[in-house]
Amino acid sequence: MSQDAVVVTNQLTKKYGEFTALDQLSLTLERGHILGFIGPNGAGKTTTIKILVGQARPTSGTASIAGADCVRDSKKVKRLVGYMPDTFGSYDNMRVREYLDFFGAAFGIVRSARIKRIDEVMEITGATYMKDRFVEGLSHGMKQRVGIARTLLHDPPVLVLDEPANGLDPQARIDMRLILLRLSEMGKTLIVTSHILPELSRICDHVAIMTHGKLRAFGTLEEIMRKVSQQRTIEVQLTSPERIEQAAELVRKLVEPGVQVEVSPTESIVRFPTKKSEQELATLLARLIEANLGVSQFRELQADLEDTFLSITQATDPQPAEKLVAAGTSGGARK
Amino acid sequence: MNNPIIQRELVGMLCTRKSLLMQAVPACLFTLLVALRWPTDAKVDLSGAQAQEVFALFGYGLLATLILLVPAFPATTIVREKNRGTLALLLNSPLSPWAIYFGKLTGVLAFVLLPLIMSIPAAAACFAMGGLSLWNQVLALYGILAILILQYTALGLYVSSSANTPDAALRVTYGVILGLSVLTLGPYQFLQGKDWGAIVTVAMWLQSLSPISAIMELLGHGDASSHGLISVPGNPERFVILSLVSTVGFMLATIARLQPLVFDRPRPQGIITDDRSTGQQLIRRLIFLVDPQRRKSSIGRFTNPVMVKEFRCRRFGSSQWMLRLVAVCAMASLGLTYTSTAGTLDWGVETIGGIMVILQVSLIVLITPSLASGLISGERESGGWALLQMTPLSTWQIVIGKLLSVVWTLALILVATLPGYVVMIYIKPSLSQQISYVLFSLGLTAVFALLLSAAVSSLFQRTAPATVTAYTLLLIICSGPLLFWMGRDTTFGHGTVEAMLMFDPLAAALTVMDAPGFAQYHIVPMSWWLTGGASVACLVVLCAQTWRLTRPQ
Repeated sequence: MSQDAVVVTNQLTKKYGEFTALDQLSLTLERGHILGFIGPNGAGKTTTIKILVGQARPTSGTASIAGADCVRDSKKVKRLVGYMPDTFGSYDNMRVREYLDFFGAAFGIVRSARIKRIDEVMEITGATYMKDRFVEGLSHGMKQRVGIARTLLHDPPVLVLDEPANGLDPQARIDMRLILLRLSEMGKTLIVTSHILPELSRICDHVAIMTHGKLRAFGTLEEIMRKVSQQRTIEVQLTSPERIEQAAELVRKLVEPGVQVEVSPTESIVRFPTKKSEQELATLLARLIEANLGVSQFRELQADLEDTFLSITQATDPQPAEKLVAAGTSGGARK
Repeated sequence: MNNPIIQRELVGMLCTRKSLLMQAVPACLFTLLVALRWPTDAKVDLSGAQAQEVFALFGYGLLATLILLVPAFPATTIVREKNRGTLALLLNSPLSPWAIYFGKLTGVLAFVLLPLIMSIPAAAACFAMGGLSLWNQVLALYGILAILILQYTALGLYVSSSANTPDAALRVTYGVILGLSVLTLGPYQFLQGKDWGAIVTVAMWLQSLSPISAIMELLGHGDASSHGLISVPGNPERFVILSLVSTVGFMLATIARLQPLVFDRPRPQGIITDDRSTGQQLIRRLIFLVDPQRRKSSIGRFTNPVMVKEFRCRRFGSSQWMLRLVAVCAMASLGLTYTSTAGTLDWGVETIGGIMVILQVSLIVLITPSLASGLISGERESGGWALLQMTPLSTWQIVIGKLLSVVWTLALILVATLPGYVVMIYIKPSLSQQISYVLFSLGLTAVFALLLSAAVSSLFQRTAPATVTAYTLLLIICSGPLLFWMGRDTTFGHGTVEAMLMFDPLAAALTVMDAPGFAQYHIVPMSWWLTGGASVACLVVLCAQTWRLTRPQ
């Protein structure tokens, strides 16, 4: 295990009666990294997070944060982790500053230091302008900022954020991304769950993909994509759709037998997956040009986190995409 | 049943366990009451006195049951729809506000009429005992109670349409009902028999807003304010008129609120007094004394942060309202004592003391559940509990902080009534020990009410059911034994009444005060032990449940 390992889980398992919410999860995350936790609802993400922050007890296995056991040293873990659940936890009739002051006092920060710290965290999260607003009257994006400010009050080395970008508008998502990157630069280790995969791919340097309580893939984004994307998708763009069927016919002849060639006349595009080498693809392109079909572009589609997720989950779950689309607010184990 | 709301409301509620309880429990209780008093020998009671006694108890029991149960359902129905977002969907449907309102009214009304319907066999048994008038007593009682249900349902729906949370709606509804049924009796107590013309008439009509006067007259007990031969009949008729008029008012006001514009509200901008001009700050200071919009200072080093948080985030019970309530309490207690000493009323110190005790316990019963029943359930409902769990605060700190936030408020209110007792001791120094016992009883009642409400709160995930449960339990404990007291020396013997009064902290204070009708019962200190024991049990439940909630799942 690395000296810099901050979050470590070993064979972590959680069962609710007969139902296994989490099945032998083992992973290690080093200081300053951002881990994206991905999975459909019921995959075990929230269960993992609850064990890490000391709100759930594992059936077997261990989890530790900065050397503190999440079960035995739960008091210590509270000071090491800043946790933002998927629900905000609003109090009526309280202004943002009072709200943060309460949590600061609950963490035992002395008054003078607390006043300074509240100003700092509001500045980091861009929440200073809303200090006198009532918490219950904030918009969703504002609440997420205040939520992060709350997690930062006691200056924890690890931040666990459950769905921080959920329900945010595009501008708020960009702001949230910048805040998270800034926290990473400050040396914080972040664990972030989200259903918005393009967003995660922009901030996370590590990704853990889970389905049915099992860890299906874990590593840097590049490592996972390399492992998954052995098959590439090629797109052939024609100048006009008239000869698109001829182009598709020629591609079917030249690529592997049985490959599904997709034809899109409206876009004048022929799209197909292949495992052919660069040389073989060069030959294919030459044949298409020779046939005078009006090829304007021949390109490889870049696999993204969404494709990677689908590739991994399709092996274990027949309809993961539907679940992902249906994902409302958060993951969560059946209780 | 073409209105889809009636189907959803009524069928939805009828399919629940509470519906079964609402039908079964009152039916069993009333059947038991009649069965206990059913003649066991072959003699016929030609005077009908026994039937009258049983019918009186039955009538008061039914009234108490309805006052307890009815508000809980209409008070939460609209506000819940509003918060879940389904009211917006209904208002955007082709259903008119009238259809929505009458759908809800009919659904809730049909449900809350169940206890009344289920009590009919017991009423029929009373009638079969002989000596009762079908039209003037049995049917008149049912008519009054049916109108009462309609009025309280319309009131509950109105409050529900104006409130922001279900528990706030419950608090306001129960508060208004307490005011309508008890406080309206007060002015006529003082003004009857005086030659003050229209003022006395207004007080008389005000008294008729309370169903207690109407029911007392129907059951042959005069009216609530009668003294000696002074009793003005006609309370049932006046009650019917006032109830129907107010019901129509509540209906129209609620329908007027059921418009899409009800959602057209800006987010609060968080205007703060410190940023206003000096003049405005001064005016606000004069109006509020403790300005709720001032910028508050940071929580002190040795202060329990949970207690401060509770004070700050509570709408009901915030400082400016509490100060007003304390002032009203102080003035009321002094006023009562003054009327006694000035000879305006020849009631005696014991009667005045009894009234003060009843008013104080009413305040405790009204205020405590509304402050304490959301202590834990409110955190769980809002998602704040998960955040509290993540702080280093111990279970004990959380419990102490939450309890202290209510203790201070209750202590302020109780202390505010002390001047009245001080005047009493000044008039009759021999009362000093007796009054100290009364104050101890009241303090114990407040502690019990607080711990019971907080323990109930720790057992629920939502505040609304916790509030209803806390109110119901407290009202049953404080007013249930009084039903036995009302049948003293006739339906129930001295021993039975004394045994039942032991469980009632209100009765303990009244017996210590030697209030009329209570002086002959000796329930102290046993009653104190019982209340103290129950308080300890509630504290154990509260601590154990809070500790369990702070543990990992």
